[in-house]
Amino acid sequence: MKGIIFALLGGFFLTFQSVANATISSQIGSWQAAAMTQLTGFVLAIFIVLIIRDRSYRQLTQVSPLYASGGMLAAIVLFSNMTAVHIMGVTLTIAIFLIAQLVLAIVIDGKGWFDMSQKRIGKTQIFGVLMMIAGVIILKL
Amino acid sequence: MALGIFLAIIGGAFVSIQNTFNANVKKRVSVWTTTALVLLLGFAASFVAGLAFEGTGLFRFDAEPWFWFSGIVGVGVVACVTQGVQILGPSRAISLVMVSQIFFGLMWDTLGWFGLEQVPFTWQSLIGVLMISGGVLLFQLGPKLEQKPFVKLNPETMEAND
Repeated sequence: MKGIIFALLGGFFLTFQSVANATISSQIGSWQAAAMTQLTGFVLAIFIVLIIRDRSYRQLTQVSPLYASGGMLAAIVLFSNMTAVHIMGVTLTIAIFLIAQLVLAIVIDGKGWFDMSQKRIGKTQIFGVLMMIAGVIILKL
Repeated sequence: MALGIFLAIIGGAFVSIQNTFNANVKKRVSVWTTTALVLLLGFAASFVAGLAFEGTGLFRFDAEPWFWFSGIVGVGVVACVTQGVQILGPSRAISLVMVSQIFFGLMWDTLGWFGLEQVPFTWQSLIGVLMISGGVLLFQLGPKLEQKPFVKLNPETMEAND
């Protein structure tokens, strides 16, 4: 039960984040909004790291620089998210984001790219994505 | 509209790549250190992009006080999703997160809170969202359903399967 509530809340926060970012960006600009939300989030996260006395950053040297720099992709993600929400609202933006995300996840897992353990793609996953695309078409008709 | 769809496809693809990269970081480093690193680099990249596109215009803005607390939301995402995954396991937790995300999206568009342009609620959009949710559940939980029988009578084999 607790797990379900956490997961539902996580979804709420993700949507709230898209909406808040779009609102902030329409008032102060997209890059300003992206920089501000990431910086304030960082300050809070580093606080948590200090409070729980987390020393695992020492192992960062063992992480490939390519993977460690993944955070920079957030600039592209945030910019496209904010602009898409402005253009077509949050429901459709989230729906298409999820479809693109899952399709690429199938490819990455299927090919075993980026050190991911290779997985066989099930029929249910293809059907799942097709059903989501059908849902988007119904949403937009 | 076409631009919105295009940007959402690009954005979603990058979310996938970023999740993959972060998963590799988390093999060595804790969730919170990974989060701090990801947010710091996200800030740096946005800052540099802002300077490149707008020059010093990047610093001319008039922020409302709550903007400075917007980062809390991102930290809330990480905390809740991490807890959910720990309790329910990744496929069940992530499918719930995604379903919740899309339903709150519909709610938000309908209510038009927070300066969002209101999109009137239609039954058709509810059906669309239900189908998208069904697709997410099929995608995330499908592999488990394929492997396991629907009815399990022997509790011992049940544990062995999990």
